[in-house]
Amino acid sequence: MSHGPVTAPDPQGRFPGFVVMRQSPSWDGVTALTIRSRVAPPPAPRFFTAAEQVTARALAGQLLGQPHDGLGVPVMEMIDARLADGQTDGWRYEDMPEDGQAWRDTLAHLDTDAKERSGAGFADCEGSEQAAIVQAVQDLGSRDWHGLPAGHVWSLWTRYACTALYAHPTAWDEIGFSGPAYPRGYKNIGVDAREPFEVRDARPAQDPVRERL
Amino acid sequence: MSTGVRARNESAWLLPNDGTRTDHRLRRDMRRFSDDDEVDLVIVGCGAGGSVLAQRLARAGWRVVALDAGPFWDPDTDWVSDEAGSHHLYWTDPRVITGADPVPLGSNNSGRGVGGSMVHYAGYTPRFHPSDFSTLRDDGVGADWPFGYEELRPYYAAIEQELPVAGEYWPWGDPHGYPHRPHPVGGNGELFLRGAGKLGITAKVGPVAIANGRFGNRPHCIYRGFCLQGCKVNAKASPLITHIPDALAHGAEVRADAMVTRVGMDERTGRATGVHYVSGGASRFQRAAMVAIAGYSIETPRLLLNSASPRYPDGLCNEFDQVGRYLMVQGAPQTAGRFDAEVRMYKAPPPEVSTEEFYETDPAKEYKRGFAVQTVSPLPITWAEHVAAQGHWGRALRDYMSDYVHWACLGSLCEFLPLAGNRVTLADETDSYGLPVARFAYSQCDNDKALVTAAQHVMEDILTAAGADEVITIKRYAHLVGGARMAKDARHGVVDGSCRTFAVPNLYITDGSVLPTQGSANPALTIMAVAARAADHLISGARRGAG
Repeated sequence: MSHGPVTAPDPQGRFPGFVVMRQSPSWDGVTALTIRSRVAPPPAPRFFTAAEQVTARALAGQLLGQPHDGLGVPVMEMIDARLADGQTDGWRYEDMPEDGQAWRDTLAHLDTDAKERSGAGFADCEGSEQAAIVQAVQDLGSRDWHGLPAGHVWSLWTRYACTALYAHPTAWDEIGFSGPAYPRGYKNIGVDAREPFEVRDARPAQDPVRERL
Repeated sequence: MSTGVRARNESAWLLPNDGTRTDHRLRRDMRRFSDDDEVDLVIVGCGAGGSVLAQRLARAGWRVVALDAGPFWDPDTDWVSDEAGSHHLYWTDPRVITGADPVPLGSNNSGRGVGGSMVHYAGYTPRFHPSDFSTLRDDGVGADWPFGYEELRPYYAAIEQELPVAGEYWPWGDPHGYPHRPHPVGGNGELFLRGAGKLGITAKVGPVAIANGRFGNRPHCIYRGFCLQGCKVNAKASPLITHIPDALAHGAEVRADAMVTRVGMDERTGRATGVHYVSGGASRFQRAAMVAIAGYSIETPRLLLNSASPRYPDGLCNEFDQVGRYLMVQGAPQTAGRFDAEVRMYKAPPPEVSTEEFYETDPAKEYKRGFAVQTVSPLPITWAEHVAAQGHWGRALRDYMSDYVHWACLGSLCEFLPLAGNRVTLADETDSYGLPVARFAYSQCDNDKALVTAAQHVMEDILTAAGADEVITIKRYAHLVGGARMAKDARHGVVDGSCRTFAVPNLYITDGSVLPTQGSANPALTIMAVAARAADHLISGARRGAG
């Protein structure tokens, strides 16, 4: 399966003009506070070391196709905040360390792989090199990667990265998701039904599956 | 009908009707017991089972304290219309998962705080089928309950009125109607009905514990789609609003933020004396004439195991090595279909439409038992799991995600069988209380795997018939039951048919962990009905551990 390296974000979004934060005046107070704090500049990292921050930022950029100058969601900082607060998913695989240690270990392993491959740390590699290193981990499936089951490492990375990105209103704009809906609710439910503020997909036939066939 | 409900459970009328959601005065004026009061009953856990038991027994005049490890939620201030912001609704203390098919916990199946997992469940409340109570006798798999469906029927009907449940007339299992009419459906439900209709598969709207119309002071659903993040409207039922208010009004105490660490035992008499718990950093002990554990399928076995003592070296109620065993999850593959039209499945409640056409054993198939199919409507973070599960990352993941509004999503509940090796034990790791955490091992048997494959095919067929040009599936799990099951004797389970433990005459378990089988039904309604039945047994004779 091909997954593709980081590229610039699509300059022409599918939901032109849709900005979910414009709806925030209609949200209940505690929800609005939660979302607004998420779009504010992130606090300084508390969990990752300086070296780990650089590697984690590069990894998140690769996993989410989010270059530094692109969507601009502070994914590394959001992951760091969860790990600093011990906000896990409430379980870990028996063959993995607890999440914080697993992040530290796997970021170090990424740098090891990068140095072996290119003589530089992961973050200092070219984007295509980074992508190849990440792809190699995914390709291991359930096999061993530096003493850890690669599939469980992949699960850890993608869970934390996706949870961070798709918690962010900028990502909601990109996918046409209308965000919080209390106390307003929805009036127009059903196939091809939109609220007045929802924006129709400009390219409804842009089916990623179809494009890959 | 609603006046009949009010006469036996006034919860919906005790909530405010001014646009706020919490009965602050009822909570402030709640009766409070001292640790040294020997209350009639102390309950561990205020979820589906514990809350119903508290409400029933408080009404009967029992002096009841119900402890919960988590907070006493206020939907107005504690809950948000947001996925990531709802993390605190889940039990996220450390747990270890293992086995050939490890089952993620947390947001998937584990609640925290008063209301339990029903705070974040979707809201589906189907009954079990009569066949679920005798799968061993009739199908040669699973287990038989100590009692049959008929025993539970009146409790099902009573709880359906108290939640209340909305849905079409239900033609499966024991056919029955619902107190509230079916809700209108959104894009996801519309496509399910369309696809099923084309294939000749009967599908029905419901059954969901979401008021359709005003119920007491609870307002109508506003179709905001965040059912799994806690209902800020008070439209979706959870014990926080369906049973706890009435329990408080009848003199029960709910003691939140109180983590029970072990059951107190009189080693000489073999009777429970109360529970040890930690609150505000202090270790305390609540005396009680009777103890009921309702901590659900992971924490209930863990508490029994952590209550080991010289007389019970392998844990309480574990003389025959039954504690923690036969824990079940349902195989819950979810299949999504892509439509050129916009589905926007995040609008309207995720629980809309179900079919139980495939619930029973089909002699023509190589597997026993079956599965249900229901709408599920993942929000963006959860939807990203679906996309990532296909192997996508990087730009490809973002491209798929940008297509979100075009996807409809169905989920199956496959009846995984109770297996002795699927169990909770204690890990070496300890939690912030210094207690060993739960280690949960799960492995599927061949019948389980065959059901998942069959369910996936049915969902693919339905979505394709509805017009989807592509389908993707993610294999996952839903719900927990078992782990301290009911049986006819102590060699086969932990409690008898009335939920009393075989080992300790004044110790009960009244949560999902007592279920011997799970059917293909979401378990909340059955957990409540079993607890209500146990309450009747207690009221009719076993008060203060007599009998």
